[in-house]
Amino acid sequence: MRRALVPITLMTMSIVGLQLSVFSSLRLSGVVIMVVWLWPLVVGLAGLTTLSIWTAVVAGFFFDTHSTTPFGLTAVVGVLLAYVASRLGKEGVGDLDSAAWWVTPAIAALGGLVAPVLYVISGFVALDFSLWRSSLAQMMVVNALAFAVLSRPFARLARSLGGVRTRARR
Amino acid sequence: MATDRSRRRGVTIAAGISALLVVLYVTGGVVSGLRGTANLVVAPFSWAIDAVAKPIGHMFAGAVNYSDVVSQNQKLRYQLGQAQLRANEGWALARQLEQMTTELNVPFVGALATVSAQVTNLSPTNFAATVDISKGRDNGVLVGMPVVANGGLIGSVIATTPHGATVRLITDVNSSIGVTYASSKTTLVINGQGVNSGLAATAVPLTTSLNPGTVLFTDGLSGGLYPPGIPVATVDRVTLTPGAATFDLTLKPTADLAHVMYLDVVLWEPST
Repeated sequence: MRRALVPITLMTMSIVGLQLSVFSSLRLSGVVIMVVWLWPLVVGLAGLTTLSIWTAVVAGFFFDTHSTTPFGLTAVVGVLLAYVASRLGKEGVGDLDSAAWWVTPAIAALGGLVAPVLYVISGFVALDFSLWRSSLAQMMVVNALAFAVLSRPFARLARSLGGVRTRARR
Repeated sequence: MATDRSRRRGVTIAAGISALLVVLYVTGGVVSGLRGTANLVVAPFSWAIDAVAKPIGHMFAGAVNYSDVVSQNQKLRYQLGQAQLRANEGWALARQLEQMTTELNVPFVGALATVSAQVTNLSPTNFAATVDISKGRDNGVLVGMPVVANGGLIGSVIATTPHGATVRLITDVNSSIGVTYASSKTTLVINGQGVNSGLAATAVPLTTSLNPGTVLFTDGLSGGLYPPGIPVATVDRVTLTPGAATFDLTLKPTADLAHVMYLDVVLWEPST
């Protein structure tokens, strides 16, 4: 895990940069695709629990410094997604080599679907009651589709940086 | 066993950090410093990705949208001609209005100084309608100042740095604006409905005569957040509920918020 910490952290920072420079401007139906949530999710699916939570906290923290929404909420949602995904990853669900090809995209799509809802619920906890008024359904659908499409390349990247392939051979 | 323990510890630490960040946000203060530092850390990564991604994105966008760009250019030339004509016609009227408002001691936006700025970033998230601009405290931009562009009000400044500022757009869910229309003395409060959802006013009394197409202006009431007379929105739809004593309005912002590249910050501070 320690060996993977530096490359995963650097990649997480790059993902935040990618989110801010590319994905936040490239809106589909007016919706921003949140790769800062997809990344911890796929790291979790690779079975790297601690690293996935770490990526969620780092990505969420740096992303929220650029946003006017409650600070830390992106990290909270990322941690929840990462933890659930890592539980599945530990069981081998969503493993790119052994599971059916559609399992990873399906789990990622489910993550994209629930992430905006989790965000709104977390907003209530942070005493921000205005978040639900945004076009939630649109965000859920667009993020679910985008997560499904991007999940496999992102998962490959996560596995290669986390050294998962090497471990599987052993 | 050990893995379970370390995992649990990891989850607890992460949850603790997240909770701490939320608490820091709620209590305010420390977060602005944290934000500044974190921005500095992310900046090189964003810069590197920008340098690689933007030219590629522009190349594809230019190739795909070429015919669109040409037709837009023709349309803009036509609109520019119309605007010049209207400007000439309006010059005399503007002078007259300025003179009248001075006599009435009412502030008029046309007479207020503005600072032109460029939009540097759109809101990175789905949950806030904001834009970052290229002018900040060093140029006289302060929190609370109204921002206009594309023929209407687009929002107000909510945060500043020495060389930049963040503008909350009128469509943001936390935005509320007091408006009036034509020669009416009726005032309404309109609210932002989110990034893609425009504006709305609810519980408008039936005695109010508003039709689709009516333009609403800032009311400029004493203690208000905006000076009077800035066009904000036009009525798009009037929703009547049978038996109700009020009706709802769906409104369309006067300014085209989707294509704001340059804007003017009105150097006007709300009275406290």
